[in-house]
Amino acid sequence: MSEENQNPDLTDDEKRLFADLMPEDLKEIMDSGFNRRHFLKLMSIGGASVLAANLLGAEQVLARPLATEQAAATAAIENGVKLSFNINGASRSLTVDSRMTLLDTVRERLQLTGSKKGCDHGQCGACTVIIDGQRVLSCLTLAATCEGKKVTTIEGLANNNQLHPMQEAFIKHDGFQCGYCTPGQICSAVALLGEAKKGDASYVTSNIKQTGSAQQLSEDEIRERMSGNICRCGAYPNIVAAIMEVHSGKPVDQHFNFAG
Amino acid sequence: MRPFKYTRATTLPSAIKELSGNAQSRILAGGTNLLDLMKEDVERPEALIDITHLPHSAVKSLSQGAAKSGVLLDALGKNSETANHLLIRSQYPMLSQAILAGASAQIRNMATNGGNLLQRTRCPYFYDVAMPCNKRTPGSGCGALEGFNRMHAVFGWSDKCIAVHPSDMAVALAALDAKVLAQNEAGQQRRLTFDEFFRLPGDAPEKDNNLQHGDLITGIELPASNFADHSYYAKVRDRSSYAFALVSVAAGLQLNGKQISDVRVAMGGVAHKPWRALTAEKMLKGKEATEANFKAAAKAEMAAAKPHEYNKFKIELGERAIALALTNALNYGS
Amino acid sequence: MEANQITGTPLNRIDGLLKVTGKAAYATDYPVKNLAYGYLFKSTVASGTITQIDDAVAKKAPGVITIITHLNAPKLNVKGGLRGGALLQGPEIKFNGQHIGIVVAETFEQARYAARLIKVQYSGDAQAKTDFEKLATQAVPAKEPEVRRGDVDSAMASAAVTVDEVYETPIEHHHPMEPHATIASWEGDKLTLYNSSQIVNGAQTSAAKTLNIAPENVRIITPYIGGGFGSKGGQWANLALAAVAAKMANRPVHLALSRQQMFNSVGLRQHNIQHLKLAATKEGKLLALGHQTTTHTAIDDEYTEPCGDCSKVLYAVPNALINYKVVPMNIIMPTYTRGPGKSTGSFALESAMDELAFKLQMDPIALRLANEPAQDPTTGKPWSSRKLVECLKEGAKAFGWHKRNPQPGKNIQGDYLIGHGVACGSYPARQRDSSAVIKLTNDNGKVQATVELAAADLGTGTYTILAQTAADGLGLPVAQVQIKIGDSDLPPAAGSVGSVGATSYANSVNDACSKITTELMMKSGKQFFVRPTAAQLMASERLSSFETRMDAKPLADADNYSAHSFNANFAEVWVNRHTGMVKVKRFLAVTAAGKILNPKTARSQIIGGNVWGIGMALTEESVIDPRWGNFITRSFADYHVPVNLDVGNLEAIFINEDDKHANKLGVKGIGEVGIVGVAGAIANAIFNATGKRVRELPITPDKLI
Ligand SMILES: Cc1cc2nc3c(=O)[nH]c(=O)nc-3n(C[C@H](O)[C@H](O)[C@H](O)COP(=O)(O)OP(=O)(O)OC[C@H]3O[C@@H](n4cnc5c(N)ncnc54)[C@H](O)[C@@H]3O)c2cc1C
Ligand code: SF4
Ligand code: FES
Ligand code: FES
Repeated sequence: MSEENQNPDLTDDEKRLFADLMPEDLKEIMDSGFNRRHFLKLMSIGGASVLAANLLGAEQVLARPLATEQAAATAAIENGVKLSFNINGASRSLTVDSRMTLLDTVRERLQLTGSKKGCDHGQCGACTVIIDGQRVLSCLTLAATCEGKKVTTIEGLANNNQLHPMQEAFIKHDGFQCGYCTPGQICSAVALLGEAKKGDASYVTSNIKQTGSAQQLSEDEIRERMSGNICRCGAYPNIVAAIMEVHSGKPVDQHFNFAG
Repeated sequence: MRPFKYTRATTLPSAIKELSGNAQSRILAGGTNLLDLMKEDVERPEALIDITHLPHSAVKSLSQGAAKSGVLLDALGKNSETANHLLIRSQYPMLSQAILAGASAQIRNMATNGGNLLQRTRCPYFYDVAMPCNKRTPGSGCGALEGFNRMHAVFGWSDKCIAVHPSDMAVALAALDAKVLAQNEAGQQRRLTFDEFFRLPGDAPEKDNNLQHGDLITGIELPASNFADHSYYAKVRDRSSYAFALVSVAAGLQLNGKQISDVRVAMGGVAHKPWRALTAEKMLKGKEATEANFKAAAKAEMAAAKPHEYNKFKIELGERAIALALTNALNYGS
Repeated sequence: MEANQITGTPLNRIDGLLKVTGKAAYATDYPVKNLAYGYLFKSTVASGTITQIDDAVAKKAPGVITIITHLNAPKLNVKGGLRGGALLQGPEIKFNGQHIGIVVAETFEQARYAARLIKVQYSGDAQAKTDFEKLATQAVPAKEPEVRRGDVDSAMASAAVTVDEVYETPIEHHHPMEPHATIASWEGDKLTLYNSSQIVNGAQTSAAKTLNIAPENVRIITPYIGGGFGSKGGQWANLALAAVAAKMANRPVHLALSRQQMFNSVGLRQHNIQHLKLAATKEGKLLALGHQTTTHTAIDDEYTEPCGDCSKVLYAVPNALINYKVVPMNIIMPTYTRGPGKSTGSFALESAMDELAFKLQMDPIALRLANEPAQDPTTGKPWSSRKLVECLKEGAKAFGWHKRNPQPGKNIQGDYLIGHGVACGSYPARQRDSSAVIKLTNDNGKVQATVELAAADLGTGTYTILAQTAADGLGLPVAQVQIKIGDSDLPPAAGSVGSVGATSYANSVNDACSKITTELMMKSGKQFFVRPTAAQLMASERLSSFETRMDAKPLADADNYSAHSFNANFAEVWVNRHTGMVKVKRFLAVTAAGKILNPKTARSQIIGGNVWGIGMALTEESVIDPRWGNFITRSFADYHVPVNLDVGNLEAIFINEDDKHANKLGVKGIGEVGIVGVAGAIANAIFNATGKRVRELPITPDKLI
């Protein structure tokens, strides 16, 4: 698909601008969820900070093709399991070592390195992905078990070329520092929204017997529900603010206090 | 992780057949415990039989029109589905609470009801293959006995093993008099009470429970609930979430006015199995539901505890947790 | 020039978009072709000698390419600058968990499996030193310098009120979310190391020296770092071993530590026993301060956490004794850990101050205000700036301190005992030598800048504050500034350690902006009444490109001042009176840290430090079984870093401050001060809530029932 087809409303000026910024990866960036309008909006509000980010992005995206399969030497696969599943909207078939986790499969075989390995033992949440609508840990999921499943990683959250509102809110509220736990946090937060809509309970829910309707979550509810995602940088308050904003649909204030 | 053959089971009988056919095979359910231990080289199966693709329904009412009858939890039901099921939330709220007190949202979305009962101890000596551990390597000794045993048992341990069962869900199930349904290759269905199912370590700590290889857990049966109005699951831990219990207590009260007509108390974090606090229960039955009575019962229960060097605090903490769970059961009715 | 347009504003992180889309590339995210996977295996004894390594079965395991042990490893320079030894240079074992070999295989699964098949025999050493509780009495004076003025003991003997207590803090681990990881790739003599590094040039030189190759032949690439907190400052054996593995496998190698291996591979914060002595008059004037720390270090190398640092600067006191004793042990070498010494030391000092205030029946804030020093009490130097008093006063106001009940155990709500506590902290402010190159281009009047330096951003906000600094310094919109860091091919820069990063980088970029502007003015040959911006000059002179390099240095007289960031921390805790579980409901950190370049990222740094302090106060503790010298807390399930629910409402206030004595930009650094004083404030709040003084961290439920 040509760029023109995909982004028919790109002006010549903008095209030149983009071409300047990110020569060959424009299509890639457009493909992978940076909506043009959104992009321009962020550029103008965020003091255009995002633009610079994309300058950085250009280099990296260039260096890294998306979701192409890294052919594993067949000799290297033991107890091979044939596998077809849907990843971020695309079907993929491959043969994996029966021992291979979903995390290692997306990272080492499908070049989707957004999902992170923080512990490999279910103890940190950095590897959180969404399978069939549920947030799960890809480090404790054997790839072999994913036959026929629909897997969404951080790379697949943007929809119709638009950042997911949770991604936007994380930027606005500075819901990260090093960014390593962030893909897991965001996948987890996105699934949390769905759980709240269904009226799911948590350990801090005051009346567990009251079932049914969608829940307006308190800060403590969000904290408890996000406690499976460790952030060693300690961005928790900002993560809670970002989630609260998306969950409530109302802007959450940011305070920068100076005195003296 | 050792190489293993992976099979995706298509029917329950075929899974059981496959399992029985190889002593070194294991069932793969949520995998949250099994894979963890395989990566540590503690579990070394030659074959995994994946049962997650088998059809299941999380919770089934056993009622035939009658208002009060039990429920059946499918072994393959996910912990999160079970905890959020309307029947469980309304009639067995302490079970919902107990499940939700465990692990994290992601893990509860993966973990199954059957797997939860079968999860193994978190004893660090068990997890570290360089350490002695009778449970992992019978006869090698117990690293924890003279070691760092802060998280370990105060009831029912033997000098072969002082580990605790880590499950929260199982504590509530114990309080609720749940029964485990198991099926073997011959197609036999067994219905085991928790007493019949779980074990104390004794001389064979390598056995966590009384299942035989080839047994598949198909479900967990709960009798009709008498405790929906007054129950609570209290969990004390080193951080506020995503941590195993130091001590936990599932408490249920059935009241006749102020009088306790029936009571259940079970503890987690104190023994090799979910620990029914029978002494406390016996003391409370027929008494008035007061904080003083709760405290006295808690004290009596913990009087029999035998702690180790680093877990003496569990006696006082256990007393407090029992009293707290009962008080909350009385006041908040969860 | 329109100064300070963007600097000082809460600009969103410019690397944010990459981070929320999973596109920021960390060390092992690079698609290197023909990659093989390494897996380290480690000793299971604390001391002794390897007598046999049986790797016959492992060698034949599918996919195995090579197995490297001390028997076939190349000779490396053990004094090359990597910390902690463990470079496979001999059979001697110095601690449990020392690397003893690497398996390289086609896949990660195969490498991990084969590592399990290797059988190692040791001849044991019954004398292994693993029990700190027992060895502490054998500690000897450490290299860390002593401070001694006056006579603490005689002041103690005659003072109206004294405190004489011992405070203990356990071993802690850095545990950045990204475990230390490297992809090593050779092309001829040239080595590329994609490696998470807080000090880019340091990683380059220590890798080169250790491998006995020229630094020019080593390139470190580390644009994104998944946290470090000190553990990725000095590098560890795994960096060089990745290169060795790649050489021996003749392929690029991916070598990541497992979370479990993080416990004994990359340093730790040591177990400290701190003996505090305070003497004061009835009015609360301090007369003496003793702060003696006993701790442990590696068996063959010394690092001592400077627990007495805050005691050197926080209060005016005529008699002081601050010193250290250390005992070598068979455990991994300790190292800098966020707020080294200040975080743990301030817990002891500020707990003791709280005990003193309680004995004096004096408000803890008033006690601190009564002992405010006019100049650095230890060096006698004037302060570059010091606004601790403002921190305390503004904080008290914002926190509602006057509502606190000074009597402990009196504030009860339902199941909870509520308490409030205060504690102060400080952290030295320093600028280090750092270079930067600015490249300007002009495309038909559109001027763009690229700023290049081998700086690091471990989540601190380096990218963003440098873009802001450069935008203002050059007169460009921030969107026209590109920041290139995290690559040793770029001009050498300071490390992002010890809170010197922001100060050194921002000053070097600022200086480079001034320099390039001046050079452009000279080049134009014109006279200006108002100093133009570099951007204007590029346009007016129709230059298509121009660049300059600045090698920035600290101010010449910086050493004449005592420069520190200061803070006051206020905690409100709710202690469950049945279970002893503590919740930090509210926390306020008031910080005076010079000029704040970006309040958004700065606030995040402070809050992050506070979360670390919560971990230190309540949850984090690592335990060694002295029988084997191994960590019994060996996973994230046993070693509890705080989770989201552990953290209540955190607020940060910055005191307006512009410290021109510290450095030109007036910046003091905030990466570390955020953790200092936090554990003290929480412990003091717990005392206020419960009447229990816990002097041994972490304050877990068992200590409060
Ligand atoms: C970081 C972390 C924290 C946790 N915290 C808690 C906590 O706080 N509280 C708590 O209660 N739990 C906690 N857990 C444990 C978690 O609840 C269990 O791992 C989970 O319930 C196990 O279920 P599973 O389906 O994943 O089991 P699996 O790992 O798939 O299986 C466990 C064992 O049971 C066998 N098995 C499974 N299903 C069957 C069956 N139907 N029939 C026969 N055999 C079967 C398997 O072969 C295996 O041996 C935690 C886990 C992790 C990783
Ligand atoms: S307590 Fe049990 S599981 Fe732990 S080391 Fe002893 S035998 Fe093993
Ligand atoms: S990497 Fe999966 S939970 Fe940590
Ligand atoms: S942003 Fe660094 S771990 Fe969360």
